[in-house]
Amino acid sequence: MKARNSWWLLAVAAALIVASVLIGSRHEGTEFAGTDGQAMKTIATLNPDYQPWFDFIWAPPPEIASGLFALQAALGAGVLGYYLGFKRGQRQGRQSRSDAGD
Amino acid sequence: MHITEGFLPPLHAVAWTAASLPFIFFSVYRVNRLMREKPETKLLLAASGAFAFVISALKLPSVTGSCSHATGTGLGAILFGPSVMALLGTIVLAFQTLLLAHGGVTTLGANVFSMAIAGPWVAYAVLRSAKGLKAPLAASVFLAAMLGDLTTYLVTAGQLALAFPDPASGIVGSFLKFTGVFAPTQLPLAVIEGLLTVVIVNFLREYSSDELQNLRFLPKPLVSEARP
Repeated sequence: MKARNSWWLLAVAAALIVASVLIGSRHEGTEFAGTDGQAMKTIATLNPDYQPWFDFIWAPPPEIASGLFALQAALGAGVLGYYLGFKRGQRQGRQSRSDAGD
Repeated sequence: MHITEGFLPPLHAVAWTAASLPFIFFSVYRVNRLMREKPETKLLLAASGAFAFVISALKLPSVTGSCSHATGTGLGAILFGPSVMALLGTIVLAFQTLLLAHGGVTTLGANVFSMAIAGPWVAYAVLRSAKGLKAPLAASVFLAAMLGDLTTYLVTAGQLALAFPDPASGIVGSFLKFTGVFAPTQLPLAVIEGLLTVVIVNFLREYSSDELQNLRFLPKPLVSEARP
């Protein structure tokens, strides 16, 4: 019952993302800009004289940055997937052993 | 949600770093103790950190035509307690700062405070309250992860408002402006984070009940079952 619930939850999450893209794209001039950048623009309107006093130590070139973002997601998904697969396998191993013992 | 490098005045940057440091030190101590006393939960801790890693790498679109990402710190907070997440969240934020130019070194303290301290503590408090009110576990987990995510953004808006008060309406006016920037993007993302956290917890209830009982996330069975 739980597994089926999870598929529903994932479907709702995916539907929310798809609906967001579709609705968001109808706005004039949307680029799906990041909120971090929007916050910086708000700072500029509140305090036009403010100058950032420290710059990035190192910023990756844009093409490299997309790879590093993918690396972050891959590392996270890899470890998470390893854990989930490990636990599932552990359970199945226990079950087949106890079946064999009967 | 990250405050970008250099966008907090030096005094604020130092103050938020000073506020976050004790939590990070305490977190290191707690993680060490957890590893020593419950080494069998090590893999689950790694998986919780990994969840935050992958969730915060994904920029998701929003209905307003902007994008942002969820935090993923609610899961670890409700499983291991909020103090453990300060360290894991700091690792995620440091990775993004140093390798992706996302966030910043001078703003790391402030970003750690919102994402790795305030969010996890609220998530944990919500879960405990919901459990106390005998709400179903799935609903409690959903609310905890969602409100933890939203808290992160409200705290970020507050940090920016303190640093950049509106000339006319002051800190409150500025807070509302920053909240207005974050809220429409963040609300649907918080719902998505809540849903995904419930999916993971559902899986854990099915396959990792030993660890969850060990962490007292699930009650221990009264009669210990004989394990094959």
